[in-house]
Amino acid sequence: MDAIGRIRELLDSTDEETVGTSMRLPAALREAAALAVSELGAAASITALAADALWLRLDALVAEAALDAHYDRYPTLRPSLAELAIAAAELDGNPLASRPDDIRRAAAAIIERHPDADADDVLLWAEAQAESAA
Amino acid sequence: MTTTVVLDNEAVQALLSVRHPKHARTLSSVQVVTDRRRNDRPTRLLVPTAVRVEAGWDRTAPAAAFINRLGIVDVPLDRAAADVAAALVATHHVSVADAHVGAALRTVAGPVTVVTSDPGDMRTVAGTADVVIVTL
Repeated sequence: MDAIGRIRELLDSTDEETVGTSMRLPAALREAAALAVSELGAAASITALAADALWLRLDALVAEAALDAHYDRYPTLRPSLAELAIAAAELDGNPLASRPDDIRRAAAAIIERHPDADADDVLLWAEAQAESAA
Repeated sequence: MTTTVVLDNEAVQALLSVRHPKHARTLSSVQVVTDRRRNDRPTRLLVPTAVRVEAGWDRTAPAAAFINRLGIVDVPLDRAAADVAAALVATHHVSVADAHVGAALRTVAGPVTVVTSDPGDMRTVAGTADVVIVTL
């Protein structure tokens, strides 16, 4: 099994066993976490807060790595920015989903100025264009 | 607030096989969810376990290696969900998998979307829940 598969297997594990670590944190970050726990009820403890954050980060990282590996193997499957923006509009129930051509135009326009734009940036752009045209 | 995306039968089947005609389209939805998770926008992908059965997703099978890595969380058909699903089957004559989706929708807080090829049955089992339906 490769690293991605093993990380996913470990993330999905229901094993409750814990281990002590000697992880060093910046003092300010630790104090901020302590306040978030004690004053904001962000988690049951600093350890729980850190573990949750680490799990979420690894979960996203593994999914992203799996998708990237899939696109490396099947390059034609990599969705375009416009396709992602249309999918995002559909998932959100955004009325723009019924106007895919507007989304494609917005994606083409935004990518010229902001090559790192994501699907949500495209939807914001398209909504702004629609507002200004109204 | 966490946004939830529930996968129905054909969405799972599409992710299981690169030869499925809706594989690319379903991948786009998963990619959006993944991008949002990476950007700290709480979003999760769920699959009711009865849907997994109907779609043939055995997590131990080598063919499931790709879909297993996407962070799609099982919603088990536990006692409470089985009671709700049984009532949905009796009332609406839907499949067990569709009924389990309906039961799952009743336990989700926050915005929820179902990715399906069967929007009619999904609206039926959703009842009064405010659900976005994405039709494959």
